[in-house]
Amino acid sequence: MDFFLLLVATGLVSGAAYGLIAMGFALIFKSTGVVNFAQGELVMLTAYISFSLYTTFDLSFFPLMLVTIPISMLIGLVLERLFIRPMLGEPIFAIVMVTVGLAVILRGVTIMIWGPDPFNFTAGIPTEVVYIGSVPFYPAQLYLIGALAVMTFAGWAFLRFSRMGIAMRAVAANETAALLVGISVSRIHAVAWMLSAAIASVAGVLFAANFKLAPDLWFQGLKSFPAVILGGLDSVIGSAVAGLIIGMIENLFQGYVGQGLREISGFIVIVIVLMVRPYGLFGSKDIERV
Amino acid sequence: MLALKNIQILYDRAIEAVRDVSLEVPTGQIVALLGSNGAGKSTILKAISGVLYQEDGEIMSGSIQLEGEQISGRTPRDIVEKGVLQVPEGRALFATLTVEENLLMGGFTRSRAETSEGLERVYQMFPRVKERRTQISGYLSGGEQQMVAIGRALMGKPRLLMLDEPSLGLAPQIVDTIFDAVIALNRDTGLTVLLVEQNAQLALQTASYGYIIENGRIVLDGAAEKLRANDDVQEFYLGFSGGERRSMRDVKHYKRRKRWLS
Ligand SMILES: Nc1ncnc2c1ncn2[C@@H]1O[C@H](COP(=O)(O)OP(=O)(O)OP(=O)(O)O)[C@@H](O)[C@H]1O
Ligand SMILES: [Mg+2]
Repeated sequence: MDFFLLLVATGLVSGAAYGLIAMGFALIFKSTGVVNFAQGELVMLTAYISFSLYTTFDLSFFPLMLVTIPISMLIGLVLERLFIRPMLGEPIFAIVMVTVGLAVILRGVTIMIWGPDPFNFTAGIPTEVVYIGSVPFYPAQLYLIGALAVMTFAGWAFLRFSRMGIAMRAVAANETAALLVGISVSRIHAVAWMLSAAIASVAGVLFAANFKLAPDLWFQGLKSFPAVILGGLDSVIGSAVAGLIIGMIENLFQGYVGQGLREISGFIVIVIVLMVRPYGLFGSKDIERV
Repeated sequence: MLALKNIQILYDRAIEAVRDVSLEVPTGQIVALLGSNGAGKSTILKAISGVLYQEDGEIMSGSIQLEGEQISGRTPRDIVEKGVLQVPEGRALFATLTVEENLLMGGFTRSRAETSEGLERVYQMFPRVKERRTQISGYLSGGEQQMVAIGRALMGKPRLLMLDEPSLGLAPQIVDTIFDAVIALNRDTGLTVLLVEQNAQLALQTASYGYIIENGRIVLDGAAEKLRANDDVQEFYLGFSGGERRSMRDVKHYKRRKRWLS
């Protein structure tokens, strides 16, 4: 039983990272229709920037995020203006290819600046083990799970109640109609990139604090794909929940079935989801009325 | 209020959808723009709203003026802020949003106070919409959707309201409700209306002036009662076989039920 609890607990931790990264994907996909293949790289770049801020100013976690998040949003905005905006009106496929190129560039830039060797990065989070019941946790693990909870709630409230959040859903639902009520679609796209970069930075910093900060961090972007698909691609909240589910499935597979299966179990889930519910657990089946 | 002068519009720099159209919508009037499938009616409304670029359409020559001010080339947002609102063909609601969210988005360019005021007005005008306010708009009936679409446009505080085939596919009583509402708005608040229709009978009863467009050209215009009395108008409609579909038509995924003048 303890073994099971431990697997679930660590599953929740890696699942929370997947969930956060997947939320970033979903936010951009929902409002722009683009699968951003540079999401993992955005996670990596913002984590490294946060690392530099941390080593320069020696901040504890919350002040560190207070600085990291706005800088990340700025990066999201600049990337959108530089790489995505000029592609407006091009086929979606072409824009997706641009994000693939962007991913390679960001990876290169990160290694150029910070080098290929991994760093230890606590992000100002305490390191003494705490127990919840009989299960031991590092505080960084709890921060990660807590961050997912906070971001999920904030994301839900934003999309549900704020003018900008509703406008984002409106653009996703019908772009022309959004223009006809005076919503500036390009501004919505920019906001989506900014918020997505903010979420990416939270994911990146906390992932690095739990494991390490290394140039292979971008790979977490790909590993979050099963969560993105399970969540339904365009469901911000769904991605968060799906991340947790995938994290647990992976860990339980590893614990009870075998080591090697951890890596592929998520992708097995993708295949099954695509066969059974192509729009994911929470994604919107297109509402079409005649 | 609105004046189009010698407008020519191309799609993809090749397809000439509107050849040479001039028309005027005087302040406080309802003007009808009539024509069959593919005549270029929706293209003209898209040009006025500034959303042609979305479909690779472009105004090649001519001018669009709102009270003497050039508005072609402005962003859709600017045009909405100037009070020119469109109810698009096929309603184009934000299907995944609730009715009330759709209406709130209609007031996107307006202040919070104006928005809640507008909401009250729309609910008063269409009690059915109020009953459905928390429902997902994509699941409403066609008639309810049309009311929401009009309500959404009214939330933007229009001076000029442009309606693209509001009667499309709706039962006669619903059409009456909707047209009564438009007429009342025009009479009580002086709202200027540009009404695009295929249902000539209905449109010419509602409007004071009409233009008839065919293949991107205005072929006839005049006071509504004159057009109504004109035998050529009826013949024009009956004689025209709009049956064959062009490629663009086939892509549109809503069903169309056209009602012809009988
Ligand atoms: N996006 C587009 N790309 C290319 N051609 C288009 C496009 N939209 C419309 N057209 C063409 O322009 C012409 C006018 O189309 P438009 O939609 O304005 O007609 P309409 O009068 O609104 O017809 P309907 O009553 O069927 O709505 C048609 O020949 C149509 O095929
Ligand atoms: Mg049309």
